[in-house]
Amino acid sequence: MNGTTTIAEFRDAVLDPAKRRHYQLAWLSTVDHKRIGVLYMLTGLFFFIVGGVEALFIRLQLAVPNNHFLDPDTFNKLFTLHGTTMIFLVAMPLLFGFVNYVLPLQIGARDMAFPRLNAFGYWCQPMGGILLHFSILAGGAPAVGWFSYAPLSETPYSSTPGIDYWAVALFVLGLGTISFAVNTIATVISCRGPGMTMRRLPLFTWMNFVNSFLILIALPVLNAGLAMILIDRQLEGHFFLPFRGGSAVLWQHIFWAFGHPEVYIVVLPAFGMVSEMIPVFSRKPIFGYEFVAASTVAIVVLSSLVWGHHMFTVGMGRAMDLFFIITSMLIAIPTGVKVLNWSATMFGGRIRFDVPMLFCIAFLIQFTLAGLTGVSHASAALDWQTKNSYFLVAHFHFVFVGAIVFAMLGALPYWVPKMSGRMMSDSLGRWTFWLWVIGFNMTFIIQHVLGLYGMPRRIFTYPDIPGWGWMNMVSTIGVFFMSAGSLVLVWNIAQSFFRGRVAGDNPWNAWTLEWATTSPPPHENFVALPPIHSRRPLWDVANPDRPDPVVGDDQVVLPDHNKTGILAFLFSEVGFFGTLILAYLYFYAHPQAGPGPKGLDVPRTLIFSVCLFTSSFTFWRSEVALTKQRRGSMLGWLALTILLGGIFLGGQANEYWKLFQSGVDLSTNMFSTSFFTLTGFHGLHVFMGLIVLLIFLWLAWEGDSASAKFGSAFKSVGYYWHFVDVVWVFVLVTVYILPLMR
Amino acid sequence: MTTYQFFTTAWTRNSVVLALSTLACIGYFLTFGKRGRPLYFAAALAVFLLSFISPVNALANGYLFSAHMVQHILLVLVVPALFLLSLPQSFSVRSPLTHPLIGWIAGVGAMWLWHAPALCNAAATSRIVSAIQTTSLLLMGSVFWWQVLAPREEQRLSPPAGIVYLFTACTACSVLGIILTFAPVSICPVYQHPVDRLGILSTIRGDWGLTSDRDQQIGGLLMWVPMCAIYAAAILAQMARWHSSPQPEQSNA
Repeated sequence: MNGTTTIAEFRDAVLDPAKRRHYQLAWLSTVDHKRIGVLYMLTGLFFFIVGGVEALFIRLQLAVPNNHFLDPDTFNKLFTLHGTTMIFLVAMPLLFGFVNYVLPLQIGARDMAFPRLNAFGYWCQPMGGILLHFSILAGGAPAVGWFSYAPLSETPYSSTPGIDYWAVALFVLGLGTISFAVNTIATVISCRGPGMTMRRLPLFTWMNFVNSFLILIALPVLNAGLAMILIDRQLEGHFFLPFRGGSAVLWQHIFWAFGHPEVYIVVLPAFGMVSEMIPVFSRKPIFGYEFVAASTVAIVVLSSLVWGHHMFTVGMGRAMDLFFIITSMLIAIPTGVKVLNWSATMFGGRIRFDVPMLFCIAFLIQFTLAGLTGVSHASAALDWQTKNSYFLVAHFHFVFVGAIVFAMLGALPYWVPKMSGRMMSDSLGRWTFWLWVIGFNMTFIIQHVLGLYGMPRRIFTYPDIPGWGWMNMVSTIGVFFMSAGSLVLVWNIAQSFFRGRVAGDNPWNAWTLEWATTSPPPHENFVALPPIHSRRPLWDVANPDRPDPVVGDDQVVLPDHNKTGILAFLFSEVGFFGTLILAYLYFYAHPQAGPGPKGLDVPRTLIFSVCLFTSSFTFWRSEVALTKQRRGSMLGWLALTILLGGIFLGGQANEYWKLFQSGVDLSTNMFSTSFFTLTGFHGLHVFMGLIVLLIFLWLAWEGDSASAKFGSAFKSVGYYWHFVDVVWVFVLVTVYILPLMR
Repeated sequence: MTTYQFFTTAWTRNSVVLALSTLACIGYFLTFGKRGRPLYFAAALAVFLLSFISPVNALANGYLFSAHMVQHILLVLVVPALFLLSLPQSFSVRSPLTHPLIGWIAGVGAMWLWHAPALCNAAATSRIVSAIQTTSLLLMGSVFWWQVLAPREEQRLSPPAGIVYLFTACTACSVLGIILTFAPVSICPVYQHPVDRLGILSTIRGDWGLTSDRDQQIGGLLMWVPMCAIYAAAILAQMARWHSSPQPEQSNA
């Protein structure tokens, strides 16, 4: 397939009603990773416009002092929606779109490991976006900032349903993101082409692979927090309500334990893009692949240890501040390693200043600046002064826009030709570049100064203090440059589809596998893969006389994708239950009057627990029977497993009933809030497990059990079932056994 | 007693520790002679000695939970790691203790088990329990590190598996660190009201500003953050090992 046929097909598809309908269905029901990737990116671009317009209104309001263009409440809603939209509905889907499209191509895979899960993950994005924005029609958008600090986000202080929509939207988006991460991990581990060993992965793939683990660490923590705030708002819990014994600071810990890794979740894919583009346009292999790869791992490990630096102003105490200062400074090292490696890659290279490279260079400079202001915030003393000022606003916009958005703006002209088969215009690209560089720096450099002059963030207007007026005006004018740059970009993409130069397979003379197939790639991605012995297979093909050094041996080990997928998913569940258990322990350590763990009926619970633990054994027997192909015994043990699980749930229901009868419900005190939340979510997991087991019982009954596919899926369900039992061990010890030891 | 006086005088002459160290030294050189890596051994010995004769020991002895935590971390993570590194490359052990699961449980168990309030108290007050604790920590630490630092390459976990091993252990210990940091009650009540044998308590509470609450918080933070840094360093070492494994001699042609 080449560019000409694409365009002819495209015209037909638009003009012919029958074909138009076919294409609509083909795109709406697609499970192809390339189409899903494009859908992700289109969704991201759409919300980029939404979030951009929100930003435009914010800047218009702030352009002059004492402005009354927007009322305060609208302003609060706008900056809440702007922040949430840009992070969850723009940065993540756009980056995931690139990953979805490019990553399977880079490793020579036919598709993602779980194509339908991939489609599910994508459709969570528009669903979440609609839920978030529907709040505007449903009685008021959230007006509490993207981090939704408690207790402002609690019912007594925010009575409109905005926060509920916000929380449900983020929950849906979180589920989509976790499914994406599970899929990425399973794809990289289990779907690589021949010769593509883990040590030969392109850096974009490697970083997104490692990043997926960070997603599995961070997102479940947010999901647990969102569940807790929804329970507070909908079921009258009080996790984060101080006057009922809850803790508002706990919300901050949970949110930032997610929130700081989130910064890296969106920046690591951007790092990956830059690590692909800089070598190609410098005509050199990346300098120190190993260091770039290893520093990514270091970032992931450290990033889960630094969230406290978002909370210096909360008053955590000097001891805690000190430790978080040190870790926050440490994380500058692996990040700095990357910047040095990119610079060293450019050093001595024959640099081609194509549009993607221009964006990479701007990225490098702006990201370094963002890093410098970032590491200065690691110092608590400075943080206290600047945290709630525009200095911080400038800092994180330098990270999100100056680094991430610029990397994506570079990646668009780099990879869009692969997707459309047509090159984007170079001169229009340069217009976009200069408009963005000027606009971005105009808007945000001056905000550093404004912040140091004392302008606080999150104010809807400000008095006419000398200097503030003109600086804000400059900042606002910059937004128009960026808007113009974006319009040029959209025009550029659209016109390239019709008038662009035909790209050919490898327009940039790049070296990774996505350039070894046609542009756009055929449905099955590759007709044949080139031999892979190094990190730059296409360089080896083009230069057979001086190939890259061979990396490791050629043997590729591909574990079962069902197994990797379910293990990755369960890894994320550890974070979810871990957060709930820690929250329970926190309130257990601060006992309140009223019902407490001493009132629980431990012996009865132990009996029901034995049923649950036995069900792990019976499931294992069922598995053994399956491998020995004894269908009857397999069905019997499976039915027994379901029965035992059912008895456990019955026992739990009985316990709940007795508690309700004695007047204890979720809203009674902190113990009951955290107790019902923790055991309830575990019960929900058992319930889901039972449904899946029933489906398998039915499948086996119908005679499906003989296939190898069934066996592998059955094993994966087993992992889930055993995991749920292991979680109960921890819940049992924390909730029922621990109070006995006092 | 002032801070200066304390740090100059509070060095303990623990004859048992000194004797054991001498014995270990002799044993090491008799067994391995020149085949071992004596520098690592010397480092292991030095850290071991420091944690028992330096003022850290005096503080850990009933005064400061955080000093106890320093000792704990050195004994579980630093001394055994250096010791395993000092072994000659030919050294190998066949034992059920070399199963990864056992290693993981030993490493994480060493942290959790000895911070159960009863055991933590007992170890801080009784010399015998303290001796048992020290021995078990060194042993459990060695069993834990064996998976990563066994002298023979083939007895170690593969680097990716090693990363998973270390990361999960790091998380499991961080959780304990988080619990200690935020716990409003004393995990080890001995440290709340120390018996002031050395006359240093007023300096600790006053000059150093270490109330018993803050002391436990620092202890928890030590387990949470610097200890994780040790695991993180080990994870990076696994990455280095992975990428430096030998290149086969073959060409692309």
